[in-house]
Amino acid sequence: MTAERPPILDVRDLRVHFPVREGFLGRPNGWVKAVDGISFAIRRGETLGLVGESGCGKTTAGRAILRLIKPTGGTVTFDGADLAALGRGKLRETRRKMQIVFQDPYGSLNPRMRVRDIVEEGLIVHRLGAAAVRRATVLEALASVGLAATALDRYPHEFSGGQRQRIAIARALALSPTFLVCDEPVSALDVSIQAQILNLLTEMREKHGLTYLFIAHDLAVVEHVSDRVAVMYLGRIVEEAPAGELYRRPLHPYTRALLSTVPAIGGPPRERNHLSGEAGSPLDPPSGCRFHPRCPIVRDICRTVEPRELNLDGHRVSCHAVEEESAR
Amino acid sequence: MNALLEVRGLKTYFFAESGVVKAADGVSFAIDRGRTLALVGESGCGKSVTALSILRLVEPPGRIVAGEILFEGRDLASIPEKELRCVRGDRIAMIFQEPMASLNPVYTVEGQIVEAIRVHRRVSRRAARSRAIDLLKRVGIPAAENRADEYPHRFSGGMLQRVMIAMALACEPAVLIADEPTTALDGTTQAQILDLLKELQEESGMAILLITHNLALVAEAAHEIAVMYAGKIVERSSVRELFEHPLHPYTHGLLGSIPRLGAPKGRTLPAITGTVPDPARYPAGCRFHPRCPAKEARCAVDEPLLEEARPDHTVGCLLVEGGVSPMEARG
Amino acid sequence: MNETASNSPAAGAAGYWRLVWRRYRKRRLGLAALAVVVFLAILGAAAPLVVGTRPIICRYQGRWYFPCLYYYNPRWENPVFFKDGFRFTYYPRGLAEKDPTSIALWPLVYADPYRRVDVGEWRGAKGDPNRGPPSLRNLLGTDAEGRDVFSRMVHGTRIALLVGFVAVGIAAAIGIVVGGLAGYCGGWVDKILSRLVELVMSVPAIVLILALVAVIERPTIWHLMAVIGCTRWESIARYLRAEFLRLKETDFVAAARALGVPPHRIILRHMLPNALAPVIVSISFGIAGAILLESGLSFLGIGSEPSTPSWGRILNEGFNTLGGERPQWWLVLFPGLAIFTAICAYNLVGDTLQEAMDPRIR
Repeated sequence: MTAERPPILDVRDLRVHFPVREGFLGRPNGWVKAVDGISFAIRRGETLGLVGESGCGKTTAGRAILRLIKPTGGTVTFDGADLAALGRGKLRETRRKMQIVFQDPYGSLNPRMRVRDIVEEGLIVHRLGAAAVRRATVLEALASVGLAATALDRYPHEFSGGQRQRIAIARALALSPTFLVCDEPVSALDVSIQAQILNLLTEMREKHGLTYLFIAHDLAVVEHVSDRVAVMYLGRIVEEAPAGELYRRPLHPYTRALLSTVPAIGGPPRERNHLSGEAGSPLDPPSGCRFHPRCPIVRDICRTVEPRELNLDGHRVSCHAVEEESAR
Repeated sequence: MNALLEVRGLKTYFFAESGVVKAADGVSFAIDRGRTLALVGESGCGKSVTALSILRLVEPPGRIVAGEILFEGRDLASIPEKELRCVRGDRIAMIFQEPMASLNPVYTVEGQIVEAIRVHRRVSRRAARSRAIDLLKRVGIPAAENRADEYPHRFSGGMLQRVMIAMALACEPAVLIADEPTTALDGTTQAQILDLLKELQEESGMAILLITHNLALVAEAAHEIAVMYAGKIVERSSVRELFEHPLHPYTHGLLGSIPRLGAPKGRTLPAITGTVPDPARYPAGCRFHPRCPAKEARCAVDEPLLEEARPDHTVGCLLVEGGVSPMEARG
Repeated sequence: MNETASNSPAAGAAGYWRLVWRRYRKRRLGLAALAVVVFLAILGAAAPLVVGTRPIICRYQGRWYFPCLYYYNPRWENPVFFKDGFRFTYYPRGLAEKDPTSIALWPLVYADPYRRVDVGEWRGAKGDPNRGPPSLRNLLGTDAEGRDVFSRMVHGTRIALLVGFVAVGIAAAIGIVVGGLAGYCGGWVDKILSRLVELVMSVPAIVLILALVAVIERPTIWHLMAVIGCTRWESIARYLRAEFLRLKETDFVAAARALGVPPHRIILRHMLPNALAPVIVSISFGIAGAILLESGLSFLGIGSEPSTPSWGRILNEGFNTLGGERPQWWLVLFPGLAIFTAICAYNLVGDTLQEAMDPRIR
């Protein structure tokens, strides 16, 4: 546990900008900077939680890492290979090892395919074994997510949200990947089912030694699952730290505000850290520190100069106030 | 016992080709002036149907088959439609989950609030407009005079929900029904909206019926809580009491399965096994028994009734004895 | 933690089309329309079995033949009959004379869509078979040339359906390819193809057909089908493009890409099956439209040769007599009814399909 594990995923300065075009021959007259320079590394066996509110770019980041969306800049290195440099064939091979579970259990399964075909497709495409072997793998995958063999010949619409999510997980795990991006996998599920699926995900992680990038907006869920947590705001990572540390000692004012909105069940009510206004738009992010219009401790420098990233003993944060504080 | 709104034995059934769906099957509760009751449950438990039934907004093939809805001396379940229309929007208002879908995209925000006012009050257009702008200011829309003339698509989700609240408050209702008002919103916006509702309640003394699946939210937003499962209320008490002494195994399971910030990182969350039953085919006896870790033989046969187990704390479970939950008794 | 599969009835896997069929079944009008469509299809396919002057199957000089195949394609008639002069003696007498031991299975009604039947051709049948209005001999009457209308109508069914299916088949093929490419590729491919679609949309089929008739000396029904097909594909293209644009953004397509599924498999396996719903409806309406168009063109005298037993042709003949002294109403009424019924049926089927394929099922 203490040995230095090489990062299985290394993201450097990832950018995803969507052009805003107008007119027939559309020259872009603006860019939606959904992801605007994020960097992190995940070591093998680790789970990094990526947390933020809607519009912060976390879902886009997850898909860009898997190259489901083409990044506009930056590098993504998986298992030592730069994904951008891989040819189509090599990229497809690499896809075996990095899979994804989506948020919407109703949209992530092809409604015209049977469960058997859904889970088997990856095996067919990557030519992993003859029909009999594939069938065995499919049965095993379904069993490991808690679905009986009777599910094989049914269609997705015959299942509940939680069960569909299990099918989606089975589909991802059938390929025996090493890295899994979980894009809000429980947000659309009922509370009691959430717990079941979260337990399933942690169980799979232990069993197969998986590495997770866990994207969510629910802080409590993220903390439960992750080793380290990164907080995103308007396309940038504003803070990153080991899970327990982030929640005990949040440094960035946005993180503090987010934490204060998590209602406490029983016990004393949490102190409310009010954020005024609304999140800015990634089309036209504020100058300087992107958070400055809503920051309770904003100073002059925040409006003009972007804060640089500090690394305080494994706890990364980008904030002028923190910088000043730590300089003392 | 003079509650502002009292629902007694409400039964709303849906008559579909595949059978009868007993969405709300004998629901009773009461809300007092200035208090917030949270109706909590997962999808399919009937909470939204209950809320819609109060204002008789349930569409066929569903209809109210039994029960009374007592409000201001009348039974809303049986008064003629014309009379009910005077109640809707005026005395009892409702806001919904998806603000973007609840507002008409081809009318300005001010236009829709004004409509809400003029349906129930005889005021001039100018007076209505000025009241609309006041309302928008009250709910925290910046630059209200200008933004009033904009269309819904120019507002964000949080802003739209505020507009909905403004519309709901236009006629100073006695009761506000909020059906999952913050589910579609972000954490920080959620907090803002809930605080706004609390403020408004303190100002006007209106009662709020809050429908939600988010137990954690209830902790900070409500005074009383009623937990629903499979069309019935299974537990009801004040919020603090419920969190400190959950009696029903379902409540127990729900509370346990929510990840808590700062809780010790155990590997597994104590999850409730199984899934919510098909509303067309409820299990016999106690509807929760197939999933209950504490079930006994009689749970499959007898249906539990709501009884007061602790002061001001009713629960519908056969195994609650002496105010102690069967979950605790098991250890 | 083992969940059993869902609580749905164990009545077998409920695929999308089975669900659609279940919903379709509930609409009686749709079922009636479907029955008509099926009936017409059977009638069209089995026309020579219903009416004709050639046996369905016969045993001649020790061997078995299927002379009725002539009606599908003249070249399919066995040369032996030609050699033995059946052209002039016709089958009933020819078989009896040339081979007394021959056996033959005849169609239900003895009449020919392409020529008039002579007196006494059919085993000494009495009465002149070739006179005007509907009679016992000619159920729906005869046309000016003495050809039995009933036989022309029945064989005309085949023509009508052929036109419908082939024309729409061509249209669907073009439309799916163009729409699919535009939807899947997006970008400038989409822009160019969309402009192409708009171009085709702005050319009315009639104009193109008239131009074709001017160019080709004697256009056949096949020319007509091709032209109809090539000018009516744009609604299918637009539906498919819209569906593809929508499907591109769905999570299950993203999941397929994440799995490493190659693009052709994504299109064929994931996108196309989900995109076909509006296309199928469009095809049903398209068939109705094609039948109408062909009938209209034949009615105007454009298109197929006069001998082709197309409903519109018969209508054309009859219509010209309406103003005269002896209006041949049977030449107008029956084809008119037939066209009306066929179009109604296909439109109703399309309509009902649309309802049955309501997105709520998805």
